[in-house]
Amino acid sequence: MSIKVVIKRNTYFDSVSLMSLSTKANQIEGVEQAIIGMGTEMNKGVIRNVGLMTPEVEEATAGDLMIIVKTTSADQTESAYLAVEELLTNKDKAQAKSDIKYATIDSAAQGIPDANFAVISVNGAFAVREARKALENDLHVMLFSDNVSVEDEVELKTLAHEKGLLMMGPDCGTAIIGNTGLCFANAVRKGNIGIVAASGTGSQEVSVRIHDFGGGITQLIGTGGRDLSKEVGGMMMLDGIKALDADEATKVIVLVSKPPEASVEKKVLAQIKECSKPVVVYFIGGNEEAVVAAGGQFAKTSKEAALKAVLLAGIDEAGINKRALNIPLVEEVRAKLAPEQKYIRGLFCGGTLCDESMYLAMEKLDNIYSNIQKNPDFLLKDINVSQEHTFIDFGDDDFTNGKPHPMIDPSSRIERFLQEAKDPTVGVIVMDFVLGFGSHEDPVGVMLPAIIEAKQLAEKEGRHLEIIGYVLGTDLDTPNIDEQVTKLVNAGVTHASSSTNAGLLAREMVLKGENHE
Amino acid sequence: MIHAKSGDDYFLQQIVATAFTGTVHSVFKHALNIRSDGNDEIFTLATKAMDRAPNTLVIDLDTLDHLYINQQDRVSVRDNQLLIEEKLQIAIHTATRWQCQLPIYPADRTSLKMNMIRVKQFIDLHGKGGGIKRNDLPVSEFEAETSRLLQQRTTLLYEEILNQRLDCFQTYATDLVGLGPGLTPSGDDFLVGLFAIIHLENSPCSMYKPLCESVIKMMQPLTNEISFTTLKKAAHGQVRESICSFIHAILYGTEVESIEALRRVLAIGSSSGTDIALGLISGLEANIVLGG
Repeated sequence: MSIKVVIKRNTYFDSVSLMSLSTKANQIEGVEQAIIGMGTEMNKGVIRNVGLMTPEVEEATAGDLMIIVKTTSADQTESAYLAVEELLTNKDKAQAKSDIKYATIDSAAQGIPDANFAVISVNGAFAVREARKALENDLHVMLFSDNVSVEDEVELKTLAHEKGLLMMGPDCGTAIIGNTGLCFANAVRKGNIGIVAASGTGSQEVSVRIHDFGGGITQLIGTGGRDLSKEVGGMMMLDGIKALDADEATKVIVLVSKPPEASVEKKVLAQIKECSKPVVVYFIGGNEEAVVAAGGQFAKTSKEAALKAVLLAGIDEAGINKRALNIPLVEEVRAKLAPEQKYIRGLFCGGTLCDESMYLAMEKLDNIYSNIQKNPDFLLKDINVSQEHTFIDFGDDDFTNGKPHPMIDPSSRIERFLQEAKDPTVGVIVMDFVLGFGSHEDPVGVMLPAIIEAKQLAEKEGRHLEIIGYVLGTDLDTPNIDEQVTKLVNAGVTHASSSTNAGLLAREMVLKGENHE
Repeated sequence: MIHAKSGDDYFLQQIVATAFTGTVHSVFKHALNIRSDGNDEIFTLATKAMDRAPNTLVIDLDTLDHLYINQQDRVSVRDNQLLIEEKLQIAIHTATRWQCQLPIYPADRTSLKMNMIRVKQFIDLHGKGGGIKRNDLPVSEFEAETSRLLQQRTTLLYEEILNQRLDCFQTYATDLVGLGPGLTPSGDDFLVGLFAIIHLENSPCSMYKPLCESVIKMMQPLTNEISFTTLKKAAHGQVRESICSFIHAILYGTEVESIEALRRVLAIGSSSGTDIALGLISGLEANIVLGG
């Protein structure tokens, strides 16, 4: 055994860093035990108890940082200590990495003359000014901020259009530009399919399914959720289609959105007609005839949109795992659910994922309530209380006011999940877990204790509670999708392989009698 | 020029009424500590991500990175501005005054008893291990031994309170100071929670109030100055806003409100929030047993 001790006088690290460094230090090869902590008398007492006391440790005071590394052999000690030091140094380096910080768009544009893109996320009150400055500096803009008036949005998009620039947003949360994911996005293969989307998680889902089917993405252009309104007139979607049509690397274009306003839909369909490349249109709950008449390829679900896109892009159909619905499982669950367990409760972080499951349920079931229902008769009277079949978008303003988005902190739905799990009329709970840039580092992990608790409660009460989990992500994402799925499966959750399959499984499992597929 | 958003009443008084000067004691991403030349007390500048707290001025900044503020930089006050060398100027007059106001312990404990069950379950599920809450798989023998001692000593202190004995309270409390991982050791964090409950008006544990105030002097050499400042304030019934809100929610609010407030406490530091919450729960359980 060999021990190396270094005492750093009057050195303070915050608790999060100290504990994380301590955990990492204990994982370094050759390290039997590492301690990084404050030199208080009580901590020194513990060190004595575990047999690591040295004269240097005795000398440490409460304001000193102690680093103690114990290795099995003396020749490992120095290198192990250097590795611990490197952890401490890298923490500082990580902070210093973004040292070049600009206070204004103008100074950033001057400081990085080659830059052609600005991502802006500031308070809505200042967002318009900053976006305008960026456009004036000939930068394409992704504007993450919301609370921008529709008049300002039109003005910014008009300016961008005149200058031949992209004005993505306001309220644009997802983009992949030049193979770089911006804000919320997934790590997907580079390929020949371009996406223009007015829906964040909808475009994430389509990009992930394309990756899963063996295809890849050129660009994913976000437009902001209001782009297809009458007032904005689809300016960004129209410019986005044109940009992808002109892009040599793009062979197929996919459009993702809720159905546009009627006059805007006409403009978009007219643009599709002019487009030289095949266009797949996934307008959730949209009109197939109009799309087909315009020469587009209509897709009813996100999975269908991705599948059509990859086939058009030249991927061999024989090699695609289409991930068919597990019908025997559906039958098995139906048999387990008691007659009173009639309802689905969908608890979603992604708005479009919620929409897709809800629309699929509406095809066969009545009385579908939600906080994002278009039909006012089926809007939840109290968003905190479910009615019959209920689908909740936890990313909606109702739930995010003053709180992080559930993709950043999915724990915000834990309470509701436990509430639904106690309801004896609930047969199926369906949830999404979104991986990728910007999202929580372990979305399944934070829900897992609650899932286990809910399962145990149901078992104790003699009920079968079916929980369906869909993990939106790819094998390239962090955290690893397989690890997330394994956690779900080990906790007794049914894993759905896509957003579409999650919605279909939930619907089919609660169907009784003649409506069976 | 950066504006102060809110300030602890005592800190603002110090700035305005005295020719406040000091030196930077320590710098983090979201907070920096200043040691006052006048009385060696530690005061904190916190970014707006942090909640209001004793001895703290919350300023309109997202981060303190890239300001290049270092330990020993000089701090002074001029023309209603707090200055750190040439690196940071803070306008004080914009700060709204804040002072910790702990709620009154209620005569009707129905809500508290109901909320306690859920809150304890939530801490079991979501609390961070490594301090008082033992990790299933401690990363080292040191961590395992620390958790064991924390468990043993917090239990002794709790039993002392339940038995309404005064003789060993100070010894058991002192044995916790400086014990545990992190910048603010877990034992200190536990005591912050416990002291806050002892200081509630009508608290059945309030007999320990004078002991908290007298024991604090013995605690100073046992922990670092940052943690000691928090502990000292708690020993006089002054804790940060999120703790105060949680106490209010668990005493008077619904289950949902209690959990919402608890989340903000659990978010403090690494395991600090969990350790503070366990101190609060310990105090509240003692109150329920002693007060009925």
